[in-house]
This record gives sequence, structure tokens and C-alpha cells, in this order.
Amino acid sequence: MSSLPSAFGQAFRVAAAELGMASASQLMIREIAGGAGLEAVAELRDRYGREFPVLDHAAARWLSGEGEPAIDPEPVLAALQGIERLLVVGLEAAHLDLLLPALPAVEVGFITEGRALMPEWRRVLANYTSGSDEGRVAAVGLSDFQLWAGPRAALLTFIYGGDGHVVHVSGQWLRVAGPDVRTQFRSLIGWDVVGGELHVYPRWFAEVARSTFTKVLGS
Amino acid sequence: MSDPQIVLSAILVVTLILQALLPGMRVLIVTAGAGLACLAATLLGVAGTGSILAQVPWDVLVILVTLGLLSQLFAESRLFDRLAVAATRLSGAAPAKLLLVFAVAMYLASGIVNNLTALVLVLPVLHVLLKLGGSNQRYVSWTLGVLLVACNLGGAATPIGDFPAILLLGGGNMEFGAYLLRAAPATALGLVLLLAIVHLVVRPASGIADDPLSARITGAVMEALHRRVRLRCRILIPAALALGAMVVAWLALPRSWGITPELVCWLGAGGALLACWRRGEGIVRRGIDAEAVLFLLSLFVMVGAVSRTGLFHDVAGALTAMPVSPELQLVVFLVIGGVLTGLFSAGPSMAALLEVAESLATTLPGEAVYVGLALAVCAGSSLFLTAATAGPLAQALTERAELRDVDDQPLRFGFVDFLPVGLLSFVLILAVALAYSLWALGSG
Repeated sequence: MSSLPSAFGQAFRVAAAELGMASASQLMIREIAGGAGLEAVAELRDRYGREFPVLDHAAARWLSGEGEPAIDPEPVLAALQGIERLLVVGLEAAHLDLLLPALPAVEVGFITEGRALMPEWRRVLANYTSGSDEGRVAAVGLSDFQLWAGPRAALLTFIYGGDGHVVHVSGQWLRVAGPDVRTQFRSLIGWDVVGGELHVYPRWFAEVARSTFTKVLGS
Repeated sequence: MSDPQIVLSAILVVTLILQALLPGMRVLIVTAGAGLACLAATLLGVAGTGSILAQVPWDVLVILVTLGLLSQLFAESRLFDRLAVAATRLSGAAPAKLLLVFAVAMYLASGIVNNLTALVLVLPVLHVLLKLGGSNQRYVSWTLGVLLVACNLGGAATPIGDFPAILLLGGGNMEFGAYLLRAAPATALGLVLLLAIVHLVVRPASGIADDPLSARITGAVMEALHRRVRLRCRILIPAALALGAMVVAWLALPRSWGITPELVCWLGAGGALLACWRRGEGIVRRGIDAEAVLFLLSLFVMVGAVSRTGLFHDVAGALTAMPVSPELQLVVFLVIGGVLTGLFSAGPSMAALLEVAESLATTLPGEAVYVGLALAVCAGSSLFLTAATAGPLAQALTERAELRDVDDQPLRFGFVDFLPVGLLSFVLILAVALAYSLWALGSG
């Protein structure tokens, strides 16, 4: 008999929509390991790994005893030094929670359209607009994101593994990062939130050349 | 019936039927109906347009608009996000408890703020919970259905919760404290009875797995989704202070001072909005529910035109001339009121029935008639999904949420899905309305 909740797939989609695939994977695995042990994590990988490749990768790490990877925003902060506007394509709550408070003077925009799993943006933005942050975080549509361009503006997205030549990104990135956009922003930053190659087919993601980015940072 | 009575009541009834059949066009239909009613009243020599417009209860519209703006302030303060998280914690994400906790929370919220605002903010959170914990058609239908009925009951519990009670307050039919003292216990009793029957007899959560791991994951995800969502005290404090001051003013200011309920609303909401400065200005510019205002204004015009023909007076006369006891006359009136509300929704029914109620209140104790009517209208609002504005909104939000069961089959929340909840709630709330009115008649 399965030890996993019957609605796990739907629950994971809800979490991944608002937290991001990597952040949701770590959260789910932490709770399942805490509530039902490593056997349940192994079952999770068996049952849902192919559908959610980042969950599969994170579960494999847990099962091999590596646990949760540490998140280091410092290289990204260094790459973003001097910018005034940051446009984020995709969501990874655990990473953004560390990055955005360290950029208090930077205006931050989230591209809201073109995601495979749609979050409730009102709630997503509310997590980044508390207290003194009011007004510096905004929702940005695909039709007007180029208004954010400039020599002190950067695009940031999350990378879900890859090799020396290609990396996996959300499909939303393809809608934003055309050849014309490359010249309009100071830098296009890819933050690798997985590290290494995914073990199964990269469903949910698109493959792009590593050279698309000014810098690829992270594990 | 005279010719003007036939023509103007026909315009009113046809308009109401059309707007009930075509809810997507209801504002345009009632606006056109109001224009036609003014034309007919003028040509038939009943009353001129200026005279009909002068009779519109503008005080009620002022109360509706200002309370709506105050609700927007509460929404902007993120109070409902925190309430939803608190409700999840309190229920432990257990399916049966979730229904109870959210129903009580919505009852309390709807007594204070516009229930549409509360619903728009709380329902998406409940949808997330339904997805996280897993659900089936029966559980979704009863959970969302009971939530809607709790909104209706909460709206009827206080004089500022929903349109029917606001009409009584604005029209001077009942004082704030007098209404609250009578309606709040009656609606609370209705909610307790409904929740007891649903929890103990219907048991909608019986088919849902209630395992600790699922509850643990649901709780963790909900906390993560709201991890840094904080109350905006700079908005919440002025709004709460203004609401508190308004309640004190409604309860304590002597009528002889002439500071009427709508003026209290105007000053209170205005003060709270001013305190929020630019955000307040933004809410005033974008937050007024023009659709509701236009809809109700048109209804008032049509009902006002019919009223000028003396039809409502005649109906009240016929009701009081029935060769039965006053108790039975009131029972008949309330049952008719409940059914009409179910068919035509609360706004039109209350606007028309209030005229008859005022006539009845000349021979019967006012509190028995008015509070009984507000409860009967609440019962009617809960009968069908289309009877209250919140129903179609909940339906649309649920469709958008794309809920699925554990077998990946889509879950709906439509007219038929709501019907069992509606029938049970209608019978229960109408029974409470009748029991309250008969008790008030006996003790008065």
C-alpha cells in the first residue's frame, strides 16, 4: 500500500507553480522524509520522478545522503552589481528569498505570462512587498518587459541542470530571450538551481545553448 | 388592477425574469427596464422621471459604496490572507474541520465586509487547499456550497453585512443595535444548525482520505505560499479604527442629532481612505463597484415607479385583509419573500418587498416583520446558486481553479452541484426566520 498522499501530483503542481520546481521539490521531500521516512522518498521518486524531473533529482540526492543543497546567492549578487532593474523570468522561492533582500535598491519585475504552471501572482508578489519593499516589486507582462531594458538592467532565470553546452530552462525564457533582447540588457544571468544533469527526460523545460547567457552561476 | 399598475408591474416582472435568465446581461437589462419604466410612468401620468429619481434611496447607495471601499482597504491590508492561513492552522488541514472553520470564518468576515470581496480573496486559498489535500465532487459541492450560505448568513447578521440589511438601516426601518441584537443570534443559530446537519448527517468529508502526511504537506505548503505575506498595518489600522468608530456612532449617537447611518459611513470610510493617502485615492478611483450601484439604482427606479401606482400598498392591504391570524399573514409574506428571492435574487426582492413590509409593520411589531424579512431573503439567497451575486462568482472562480479529483477527473461547482446545499439551507434558514418572527410576535 502506498504511503504517499493520493493527491500528491496535484499538490506538487500547486507548490511548484508558486514556489518553483526546485523549491517545491525540497519542501515536499523534507515533509515526506520527516513524516514517513526515506522509504517514502524512494517511493516518491519511483511514482512521480518521471513526471517531475527536478523532484526526481532532489529525491536522488536525499536518498544518497546528500540532503538539501546549500543556496549561495553571493556569485549572483556579484554578477548583478551596479544594476538598477532586475527582471526575473521564472520562480524559485528559496533562491529569491535570499537574493532579493540583498538587493534593496534594485527595482524587481516578475514576468507573469507564459508559464506552464500559473501561480496566483497577487500572493507571489505579496511575499516580496513587505514593509519597506512596498512598490519596488512589480508584475510585468510579455508585451511591456522591454520597457525595463537598459544598460543598468539585467534578466535572471533559473537553470535546471545541463552540460557544458546546453542547459534546461523554463519555456517562459524562450518567449523573453530573443536575439533582440540580448543587446537590450546589460546581462542575462542563469542561476543553476539543480547542479549536474537531470536523471530523466527534462519534462517541463526547454533546452537552450549555454552561450545564450552572459553568465551561468550556481552549483 | 389599474392600467398603470398592470403596465409598470409587467415591465418590472419581465425585466426581473430576463435578468435572471441572462445573468451575463443583467446590468444592461435592468438599466433598459428602468428607462422604460420612467417612460411608461411619464406617459401614463403616474409620475415624472425627476420625481421617481427623487425617491431613490440614495442613502442606501452611499452606504453600499462606502462600505465597499472600506472592504477594499481590508483586502489591501492582506487581512484575508492571514485569516486563511490561520483557518488552515486551526483546522489542521483535516477535510471535515476545514469546512467548519472556513464556514465560520466567512460568516464572521461577511458580517463586517462585502462578502464578494471576502470571497474573491478567500476562495482561491480554499481551492489551493482542496488541491493539496485531494477532494471529490461531493466534498467540493458541499464545502463551497456551505461557504456561500455562511456568507449569506453573515451578511444578514449585521446591518452592514449585505444589501437587505443595509436597506433596513438606511431606510430607518431599524436601528443598528436593534437589528444586530435580533439578527445576529438568529443567523448564528441558522449556521450552527446547518453545520451540525452537514457535519453529522451529510458527512461530505467521509470519502476523503484524512491521512497525517497529507495534512502535514498541506500545512507546510500553505505556510510556504504565505511565508512573507505580512499584514499591512498602515492600511489595516486606519480601516479597523474607522470601522470601530462607525459601529460606536451607529450604536450611540442619538437620532435627534441627525447624523444618519449613511453620513457615518461617508465620514468613517472617507477618514480611513484619507489616512491611506495615495493608496486611498487609488481605491476610490478604481474600487467602486459601478456594476452593483447601477444595478441597484435601476431596480430602485423600477420599484419606485410601480410604488407610485399604489400596487404595493394594495398588495399589503390584501395580505392584511386575509381572513387569517396576523401570525399566518406574516408566515405567508415571509415564505413568498423567500421564494421570490430565490427566483429573482435579493436586491430586486428586497426592494419590492420592503414596501409591503412597511405596510405590515403598521399593524405588526416592526422587528418581527423586518428581521423576519431579512432572514427570509437570506434563505432565498441561499436557495439557488444564481440567487446571490456570490454564487456565479464562486462558480467562475472554481472553474478557473481547474480542480481535479485523485483520478484526475475535473470537479465542478455549478447550479446542480449546489442544489442539495441550497434546498437544505433554504428550509433551515426559512424555518429560523419563521420561528424568530412568530416568537417576536408572541413576545411583542
